[in-house]
Amino acid sequence: MRHLTQIRWRLACGLVAAAICAAPTLAEDTPLSKRIKDCAPCHGPDGNSRTATIPSLAGQPKFFILDQLIFIREGVRPVEAMAPFVKTLKEDEIVALAEHYAALPPKSSDENVDPALVVRGAALALRLRCASCHLPSLVGQEQIPRLAKQRIDYMNEVMKAYRDGRRKGGDSIMAATVFGISDADILALAHYAASR
Amino acid sequence: MITKNSRGKSFIAIGAISILTLGVTAALAQKPPVRRGPPGLSTMDKSDRTMSNQSQKLRPHRAPPIATALDKIPVGKLKLPAGFKAEIWSHGHVNGRTMVWGSKGTMFMGSRRIGRVYAVVDKGDRREVKTIATGLTHPNGLAFRNGSLYVFAIHKVFRYDSIEDKLDNPGEPVDLTQAFNLPPEIHHNWKYVDFGPDGKLYVQVGANCNICEFNPGIRGHIRRYNADGSGMQIVARGIRNTVGFAWHPVTGELWFTDNGRDWAGNDGPQDELNRVPRNQEGANFGFPYCHANGIPDRDIVRPNPCAGVIMPAALTGPHAAGLGIKFYTGDMFPREYRNVAFIARHGSWNRENKFGYDVVTAKVQPDGTALIQPFMTGLLDENTNAFFGRPAYVLQMPDGSLLVSDEQNSATYRISYSGPK
Repeated sequence: MRHLTQIRWRLACGLVAAAICAAPTLAEDTPLSKRIKDCAPCHGPDGNSRTATIPSLAGQPKFFILDQLIFIREGVRPVEAMAPFVKTLKEDEIVALAEHYAALPPKSSDENVDPALVVRGAALALRLRCASCHLPSLVGQEQIPRLAKQRIDYMNEVMKAYRDGRRKGGDSIMAATVFGISDADILALAHYAASR
Repeated sequence: MITKNSRGKSFIAIGAISILTLGVTAALAQKPPVRRGPPGLSTMDKSDRTMSNQSQKLRPHRAPPIATALDKIPVGKLKLPAGFKAEIWSHGHVNGRTMVWGSKGTMFMGSRRIGRVYAVVDKGDRREVKTIATGLTHPNGLAFRNGSLYVFAIHKVFRYDSIEDKLDNPGEPVDLTQAFNLPPEIHHNWKYVDFGPDGKLYVQVGANCNICEFNPGIRGHIRRYNADGSGMQIVARGIRNTVGFAWHPVTGELWFTDNGRDWAGNDGPQDELNRVPRNQEGANFGFPYCHANGIPDRDIVRPNPCAGVIMPAALTGPHAAGLGIKFYTGDMFPREYRNVAFIARHGSWNRENKFGYDVVTAKVQPDGTALIQPFMTGLLDENTNAFFGRPAYVLQMPDGSLLVSDEQNSATYRISYSGPK
């Protein structure tokens, strides 16, 4: 029952994304600005998402964006809403998009951050050694994403997906890190990260 | 309008979940408290999180999913014993790792994150790289038998029949996933597979954690099957994560590399090279209770953790990540290399001063242990703590030269010998 509801919820998110996002331009050799316009309806014109469960890209490490665009294009990280946008992307366009979003200033999420959950999340983050990879400021580095100022609803879903084996592609070290932790702990981590 | 409706429905659904959850919590509260681990940790994952100093030198490295340009491949940095030389044999197979030969001379490569399987065809003066499968989840396990390529992608198993006759259009493979019935978790479950001298297909299943207890009938072992996925037997257990094994050419015994646990310090426990002694199939190699040459685990404490555990034939270094192993049976290299194992060490990530990033030899001693010595070095600069490539697997060529795959640079190096024998 609960599982079914979660599937519906994800499906609904996909529909929202598909409805909001403009139809992709499939012509080859599209200029970068055109590509960026394709991304803006969901990820925000400045790379800061105001759409539920859609991640912010502003200030993400260049290599993280590059890796993910390639994994999504290859189908090893299947993201249905992204598929039409990435399937014609060439390596040099991916590098240019990665550089573009890496250079944009990240802004805080428009969601409400719960201070009590932030305190709890900070203690958990210490135990889970988040800073070893994501850095103490949680701004990320190289292939490891920025978590600071990321959307809470997005991180909440992604960490659960890692834990439950639904997140494909990328490294599996995140799966080992969140191995067996509770939904409540994941939510606290998401609030903590968003507050940074 | 559709958007609003979809969102509205979803929020109602979430509300319903919260009410259900509250109900369950209230029911649980009446039961006696269950002993749990520290908050934020699974009761199964025992790794001591407080050990971390949150050092930023302990993180995994990136394998660029774009091939290194030919003139940037660091073949010039490779150092080898006198008389040996290295050259680039193939390149452009993004993040290619495992290597097997087809019977008609095609070299097949598996990968991890990029999800591709490649066919490398020798055209004399150059190699042509074809991508024969994409979108798979860590298709690291490759084996070849009777014209068919077996591809293991975590729990999915595909057989491409007569593959070398149709490299440009491989078609749909035979799906053997159900027959093999492997666990679907991804972590430490990218496969290494190979046909043994007994004609059985040997398959690894890693522990899906850094350090935890698990059902030894499902995980943490090497198993073997008939080629159709029937007749599963466990061959060796108590293994954290082996992604390379081979059979000694003379004794026929199974040797395997095993990666030691992380987050327990820079110096270990060291990785292992293990030998499954003849007539001791099913033997226990210690994980998660006993590491390296008899070190009890610091987090999962039990009496006599190393009792009955077979000790490694050799330690292969802290966090060194020994992956591929092959025994040398060719005629090209000097006689002292005969039946010596070559082991590719991918190099450390969970260690402040990097270690490995090389190929070592393991010379089997009369007592069944092995002596580890450097063979191919130069990809690690200890002074700057920088690495330039990551050897993953080794493969003997028909002429007796040795191929080494470099996952980081999407290239293979051919090592040949032309000195005095």
